[in-house]
Amino acid sequence: MNEKQNGFFANLAEKLNLRYIGSLVLSVLLAFLICAVILAVAGYDPIATYGAMWNGAFDSLRHVGDFLEYAMVLCICGLACVLGARVGIFNVGGEGQLLLGAIFACQIGIWLQGTTAWIVIPLAAVGAMVAGGLYAFIPGWLKVKQKVDEVITTIMMNSIAAFLCQYLAKGPWKNANKNMVAATARLNADYWFGNLIPRSNLTTAIIAAAIIAFAVWYVMQKTATGYEMRITGSNPRFAFFSGLKTDKIVILGMVVSGMMCGLVGMFRVYGVEHLYRASISNDYYFEGLTVAMIAQYNPVTTIYLSLFFAVLKIGAQGIELIGVPSQIYLIMQTVIIFFMAAEKGISESIQKSLQARRAKQAAIARMKGGVSHE
Amino acid sequence: MGEIAVQFKHISMEFPGVLANDDITLDIRKGEVFALVGENGAGKSTLMNILYGINTPTNGEVFIRGKKVEHFDPGVAISLGVGMVHQHFMLVPSFTVAQNIVLSREPKKMGVFFDNKGAEKETEKLVKTYGLTVEPSAVVQEISVGLQQRVEILKTLYRGADILILDEPTAVLTPQETDELFAVIRKIVREHGMTVIIITHKLYEVMQISDRVGVMRKGKLVGVENTSDMDERKLASLMVGRPVLYENLDKEDDIGDEQIRVDDLVVGDNRGLVAVDGVSLSVRSGEILGIAAVEGNGQSELLEAITGMRKIESGSVTIRGRQINGMDPGAIRGIGLAHIPEDRISTGVCADASVSDNLLMGKERNPEFNTLGIAQNNAAIRKYASEIYEKFDIRGAGIDVNVGSMSGGNMQKVVVAREFSFDAPVLIISQPTRGVDVGAIEFIHEQIIQQRNEGAAILLSSADLDEVFRLSDRIITLYEGKVTGEFKASEITKEEIGYFMTGKRETEAAHE
Repeated sequence: MNEKQNGFFANLAEKLNLRYIGSLVLSVLLAFLICAVILAVAGYDPIATYGAMWNGAFDSLRHVGDFLEYAMVLCICGLACVLGARVGIFNVGGEGQLLLGAIFACQIGIWLQGTTAWIVIPLAAVGAMVAGGLYAFIPGWLKVKQKVDEVITTIMMNSIAAFLCQYLAKGPWKNANKNMVAATARLNADYWFGNLIPRSNLTTAIIAAAIIAFAVWYVMQKTATGYEMRITGSNPRFAFFSGLKTDKIVILGMVVSGMMCGLVGMFRVYGVEHLYRASISNDYYFEGLTVAMIAQYNPVTTIYLSLFFAVLKIGAQGIELIGVPSQIYLIMQTVIIFFMAAEKGISESIQKSLQARRAKQAAIARMKGGVSHE
Repeated sequence: MGEIAVQFKHISMEFPGVLANDDITLDIRKGEVFALVGENGAGKSTLMNILYGINTPTNGEVFIRGKKVEHFDPGVAISLGVGMVHQHFMLVPSFTVAQNIVLSREPKKMGVFFDNKGAEKETEKLVKTYGLTVEPSAVVQEISVGLQQRVEILKTLYRGADILILDEPTAVLTPQETDELFAVIRKIVREHGMTVIIITHKLYEVMQISDRVGVMRKGKLVGVENTSDMDERKLASLMVGRPVLYENLDKEDDIGDEQIRVDDLVVGDNRGLVAVDGVSLSVRSGEILGIAAVEGNGQSELLEAITGMRKIESGSVTIRGRQINGMDPGAIRGIGLAHIPEDRISTGVCADASVSDNLLMGKERNPEFNTLGIAQNNAAIRKYASEIYEKFDIRGAGIDVNVGSMSGGNMQKVVVAREFSFDAPVLIISQPTRGVDVGAIEFIHEQIIQQRNEGAAILLSSADLDEVFRLSDRIITLYEGKVTGEFKASEITKEEIGYFMTGKRETEAAHE
């Protein structure tokens, strides 16, 4: 009976992970507090700034649309990172995979100009996934077969991808307009994703993104494949010993991660920019990766936190209107990461002192009452 | 005699959810060999870690030679004369014996430079004083495990220890090395008035070496006795809390077809050196072939090669008539092989996953656990895991906790439970009961014999010779990767086999 109850509460606590939520909320509050101090020192009114931030995100439907679109980007990038982490590979190369996905998706639309959107859009999506997936396959294969550290390869491959795209956008695939220095041609408006909120960045892409997010969550949490990925990520030797094809699982995890990043690139092009240029992504993958890390690679938490950070980021544009630099958003993000990283150490020390106190009380009680332990 | 070396007063130690030490009061006398025994998780190591300053007790006091310990820290403990030799040696393999011994208190030239000559001289002096023979200039990774242990002991003596804690010192030793160790212990106690506390699982060793014995069970000290008043059976019962039956594993003699065949196998180790050097063997269904060898003589690599965990350089391995060279562990398991690996933490379990996830491994694609191939059937998985949990008598906080939080014995039961639940006709078993307590050993042994009686072909390797003898039908000895002898278990003694394990020949053996 007792054991059953314990099991139930343990389950509930695990599901809610109260400790995590508590420390996250605390970190966020502390981040707001510290940023308020910084703002005050720098001569800005913190309350007015936070007010402007709120307005920046929520004062118009357009801004709501913008933050939803950015949340979508963060979420898919974050989930791509989570997926890699699940199989034990740290995909830092999402930025490059995203750029390649974007430029290939865009160019497919240009090449197929005149063909119906029903053909162009799926082909562009496939193209983006192939580009991103192949680009992720290389570091995945190198890690598994040659034991090359994926963090180093993916970071370096980001630069290669960025330069390659720059070359394509300035050279063979350049926009005919002389004023556009590094951009591809503009997509035919027939191929653009439909706007869900007028004049905002929010398009029908978010529906596809929602489906992807659900599929990733479902596979990771509910299927035998997800189970095998989890075991492989947390103890590859055990997984191999138990008969799993760990090499295949790791490479597959990496490739799917790259495919997702490639798709984000396509969403950016077909949804917002309608052509490829470097500003298609402003280190968006790295922001998604940050979100995934803060979420401790939990897919559901990643989804929620993407929304939160998107609100902050879009809101931060609002504070520029009252003359406060929007970089305050970066400080806030950094402080939150800092506290979340320190969370383990802090909560452990609190737990330890609580424990010591409890043990002491128990000992005193035992001495007083002579209560037997058995 | 009569003087008190260490005094524990009402020591309690609480870890999250566990009371590892529960109100322990114990005096250890100067100049005695005190054995501390108990099942895994009974709290022996915790108590010794408190004495050595690694753990700070949540309650209670420790006195060393009448002086209260105010601050728990290994540095302080060392300065108070406490030395500890851990189960896993803390030596720098590429350093010489002398360099290891003086580490942290190096003799210096001109106050700055390391004085190698001085270190060797110091070591020489220690060796003479205590009669523990080792070569000061030998490199640690090149000397035997028994000698390495001696270096560990010398290290503590160099630091001025007169209270010596030995944590399962014989786990890695051959019978001969064990005898030598015991001679050393007796000598330093008798001639130098040292106090020795020895943690062990092996009850006959308690009888052999100790003056007094303390038995711990579930964090409590349940008895302190003069060893002369005890016997192994009484000790085992005290440890487990119920009578333990130790003999009569019911072996049936029904040996069938050849299931494992190894021909002229050569396998490398992690450094690329030859670890298994032309081994051939054969195991038939219904029999257990035991491998007796001192650790590091190729047995680990041999078993890893057979199970696909390690590359075969040359020769062949045939499981149930199929040659498995070049196959991965998954494919070999498909032929009908299960494997209890040597190192449960790195290989045998996924420590960060739940007990249920660990028990499921290998069966996750079975239709009953994988509805229509698209969703895990959690209800069925939990039911299955609970059944196995009960059947294998795993004792922990249920199937939802992480395996990493369990005691070594229960973790091992998780491994045994999973691997045996495949009902595989071929079993490769390595160190089935390392670090496992008496009660669980008994259980695991019964399970192994049951598998054998049901017709499994079993290849067993264990550092515990008693275990090899108890379970095996035939025994082979390995030395430096070569088979040095093959025997019927009933026709040879432990002492005799010890000589083959060290590569000696029968003629040499006769002289000693």
